[in-house]
Amino acid sequence: MLIFFILGIPALLVLAALIFGAKKKFALVNTCGYLVVLLSAALLCKDVIFSRQPAFQCGFIYLDILSAFFILVISIVAFATALYSVGYLGKEIEEGALSEKKSRVYYLLFNLFCLSMFFVPAVNNLGMLWAAIEMTTLISAVSVGFYKTKESVEASWKYIIICSVGIIFALLGTILFYYAFSYSGITKSLNWSDIIAVSHILDKNMLKIAFIFILVGYGTKAGLAPMHTWLPDAHSQAPSPISALLSGVLLKTAVYAILRFGMIVIKGAGFAYFGNLLLLFGLVSLAVSCGFVLVQKDLKRLLAYSSIEHIGIISIGFGLGAPLAAAGALLHILNHAIIKSLMFFGAGNIVSAYKKHNMNAIRGVIKAIPFTGIMVLLGIFALTGFPPFCLFFSEIMILISAFTGSSYFVAACLLFGLAVIFAAFIYHFGKMLFGNLPKGMAVRSEPLSIKLAMIFLTLLSGAIVAALPLIKKDLIWMAQKLF
Amino acid sequence: MLVAKRIPALIRSFCYQSFFLFLATLLLAAQERQLDLYIIAGLVFMLKVCAIPYFLRRLIRKIKVKDDLGLFINPQLSLLAALGFTYLSWVFVQYLIGPSDQALGAILAAAFFVVLAGMFLMIFRITALAQIIGLLVMENGLFLLASSVSGGMPFFVEIAIFFDAFVSVVIMGFFIHRINKFFTHIDVNKLSRLKG
Repeated sequence: MLIFFILGIPALLVLAALIFGAKKKFALVNTCGYLVVLLSAALLCKDVIFSRQPAFQCGFIYLDILSAFFILVISIVAFATALYSVGYLGKEIEEGALSEKKSRVYYLLFNLFCLSMFFVPAVNNLGMLWAAIEMTTLISAVSVGFYKTKESVEASWKYIIICSVGIIFALLGTILFYYAFSYSGITKSLNWSDIIAVSHILDKNMLKIAFIFILVGYGTKAGLAPMHTWLPDAHSQAPSPISALLSGVLLKTAVYAILRFGMIVIKGAGFAYFGNLLLLFGLVSLAVSCGFVLVQKDLKRLLAYSSIEHIGIISIGFGLGAPLAAAGALLHILNHAIIKSLMFFGAGNIVSAYKKHNMNAIRGVIKAIPFTGIMVLLGIFALTGFPPFCLFFSEIMILISAFTGSSYFVAACLLFGLAVIFAAFIYHFGKMLFGNLPKGMAVRSEPLSIKLAMIFLTLLSGAIVAALPLIKKDLIWMAQKLF
Repeated sequence: MLVAKRIPALIRSFCYQSFFLFLATLLLAAQERQLDLYIIAGLVFMLKVCAIPYFLRRLIRKIKVKDDLGLFINPQLSLLAALGFTYLSWVFVQYLIGPSDQALGAILAAAFFVVLAGMFLMIFRITALAQIIGLLVMENGLFLLASSVSGGMPFFVEIAIFFDAFVSVVIMGFFIHRINKFFTHIDVNKLSRLKG
């Protein structure tokens, strides 16, 4: 029943935003709403893991451990973003960059966006899954164009066109899956739970061709190279809280869709096919992002390319096939969502303090905005996989299983890519964080809600590290359920 | 459609294509005697033959651009490319289902051809409007594919897909409006501020 809270509260908030969105108090109501959603998602996840019960089915809705996990990830980022938005919008309105009326539009889009993302892991029907993902594209494209500038219009146009074409291919793949299923002559249904039950008797060639379309289609949405071209534009032009949602969870919902279809293909056509394709796309994404991260000048584009890198790592993790690697990839999804949101929040504070995106023009962040500076410093080390932070553990899990599975080439590429990106990040952020304060710049501090959101994310990532020995067994169990 | 040089001509040919899609769905509905399919055929007629072309025409009237499509590839070559696509989709379909069922094969090949043609429009025409129409054409192709291979997707899925298609046209129309306002043209080839 918890799922009805999770889907219902954003739906109610959409209506509420339509009516009261322009009021100042609404921001707080919004945050409380997402707090409830977060708690219900945590309870849901706990239920599924402790009862070890695979599924909950009710009409359109189908929940198993994978969907519960993704719902938890979405709700964490959604809550943090709602909290951050309170301060962010307040500041923008104070400085006159936005009118109060626009804040209604913002909350309307924000809630619609979250609602459509919660639908993705909750639906059973693969066609509805497609419709939900297309909906996330449409809504987020409007939110990318929230600031009416030439760049943001261009970014949202590219985003909507590239992702719509991509997703058309995904629909083609879905139709082919449907064909393979109805060809086998059982029943006519597009429900995932029905298809997976008979996946071993489906036509292998058809599944393979269909999965290519799915991977290209949803891969475009997930930001896998070479279909990633929309991603840096959209992430850099969107308002910072929306960038956090885009990078933290929107990409993950597409990964979720790929996994769902992947599970059918693995059962129907063997693991090697699925694994090799994911490894290929993962390595290409890693290589592409390495190059662009090195030469990047724009702060938010840098973070966007780092998202491509992490999506690459996640798909390598799933492509390796060992339960440990898959568990690492799942953990990586959670960790990356947390840390990347933290970084986008930090980038948002930096951009609103310096009024520019160009990293060469930003100096002395730690002196100008001390709290953000320290958080971003922690965030970089976490993001590049430095030892005591959470991303290190998920990366090491993937690396260990790459070595024990004797895929040395993959492991070597992964290590090389991580090293390059680590160096590039330290170089870029070292110059930005330290260095002298620009003349005429006053020291300033952030609104309370922004601080709270960032502290929440940092504490959460710490808690994950602390709880890792406890949850490791559950993670491996989850990963075994996958393949 | 691929030889169209001006925007109104392109919209008109999209209209005709959708009308044929409507006829095909109606035929299927009469064959299978299902109420769902009749409703879907009605929706095709309402949305794709009437509402979307009307919306697009109103849009071009409003933004008052030249109705030149801007071709990267001239009509003759486009026609040749279309011939090539037909062959390609035929070969692909043969590989997919084997030579057993010729009638189904022909429909599938037609559907894949329509998808490819839509993609061609999106890539080789300059204006933003042609990209929207290309997308809609691809969707028409997929619709034909879905109804020919399996007698249509489940009912609610069809409805959801229609809804998405309509919303996407509205949102893209809104963006074209904005592109025209900021850049005073809708030439997507010149949208190149964001790089690297």
